[in-house]
Amino acid sequence: MSDQLKSIAFTVAIALVCSLLLTGAATGLKERKMRNVAVDRQKNILKAVGLLDSDQPATVVQIERLYQETIRCYAMDGAGRIVGGDSDAIPVCFYVKDSQPAAYILPVDSRGLWGKIRGYMAIEKDGKTVAGFSVYSHNETPGLGGEIEKPWFQENFVGKRIVDEAGSFAAVGIAKGKVADAITADRQANYVDGISGATLTGKYLTGGLKEVLLDYEPLSKQFRSGPVSLPAGS
Amino acid sequence: MRESIAMKLTQSLTFKAFSEPVAKNNPVFIQSLGICSALAVTVQLNTAIVMALAMTFVTAFSSLTISAMRNVIPRNVRMIVELSVIASLVILADEVLRAFFYDISKQLSVFVGLIITNCIVMGRAETYALGNPPVQSFMDGLGNGAGYGLVLVTVAFIRELFGAGKLFGFSVVPQALYDHGYMNMGFMQLAPAAFIIIGLLVWLQKSLMKS
Repeated sequence: MSDQLKSIAFTVAIALVCSLLLTGAATGLKERKMRNVAVDRQKNILKAVGLLDSDQPATVVQIERLYQETIRCYAMDGAGRIVGGDSDAIPVCFYVKDSQPAAYILPVDSRGLWGKIRGYMAIEKDGKTVAGFSVYSHNETPGLGGEIEKPWFQENFVGKRIVDEAGSFAAVGIAKGKVADAITADRQANYVDGISGATLTGKYLTGGLKEVLLDYEPLSKQFRSGPVSLPAGS
Repeated sequence: MRESIAMKLTQSLTFKAFSEPVAKNNPVFIQSLGICSALAVTVQLNTAIVMALAMTFVTAFSSLTISAMRNVIPRNVRMIVELSVIASLVILADEVLRAFFYDISKQLSVFVGLIITNCIVMGRAETYALGNPPVQSFMDGLGNGAGYGLVLVTVAFIRELFGAGKLFGFSVVPQALYDHGYMNMGFMQLAPAAFIIIGLLVWLQKSLMKS
């Protein structure tokens, strides 16, 4: 066998062995990995409605059980009706307490300074008050924009309003500096304290949150006008 | 008697293959290799330790495998073979982390995958494993991984302690100190801080070696 043929045969053999090994590992671990991704999502939904404290680590089993017991997810069409798997439907989850929705959870997909910011925002059943906010993936600068993943920043959202004093839609945003200094008294309920050194992250996230809240405004309106009942089944 | 055994052990080629890259010929300090990931994953001790373990696993086993095949690898495709072995081991390490240490693997993001491009791994395969027997190569890989890991953990210790007031995620700076006006150094959380710490460590190591 010539040297060239030998080289080619050797490379092919190595490639075969390596790919077999990796296929084996990937297939064997697939289920565990999928479960991890699902649990991470559930964890952040639970955090958004304040059922999970970020300081207390919970096990996978605990998270799955809590999620099963309290969260129901559906799809919603443009008019805010809860529908099945429609093509133009957008996802929405509910925190169910005594078989009534106590809060609804919206997936947040916002622009950030360096990349996408993804998380969840929960709104109380009055359709006006923020129940919580969580971030599960972002590329912001650690120590500056990266503070959006920290509890101190996310806790500031709790109790803020997505409507103005007259009751019409206003969204919730991030102030440039402290709310008390930067925002007029009648709008302070619509803003949280900004992060110093992260003006742009705040600006983009404010825009992203407004977009998301606008998308879900039809549903929020229903909640504002009275209790919303969930479709049967899950 | 015991002393002579210890002497023999520390002077054996296998032990030297391990100990040299840990201190005297540290890949990060002396050869300035693998610095990019040393900047990225050293904000916390947890990620630094997992990264060091993943890296040590890859260098040790890639050196072992390549050394075992060194007499049959055709010379003109040796780089392709080395890369196939290294890439497979890195993907394997990444898969295991994703399956069993999901939170840490999320924080490490692309940096585990980037071990493939870490010059230490390829460098050891090219310069050491191709010319030395498997056990020695394995120890050399282990030593280089440990040398790299030692730097990572030291830098992460300093950065987490001064940047966040924590070690392994637990607060260690007492609240009383904060009450008296102590503040965490936000700069420690940024990549340039790692550069400065590594620079200072190189200085320290050089002056220690001189004396």
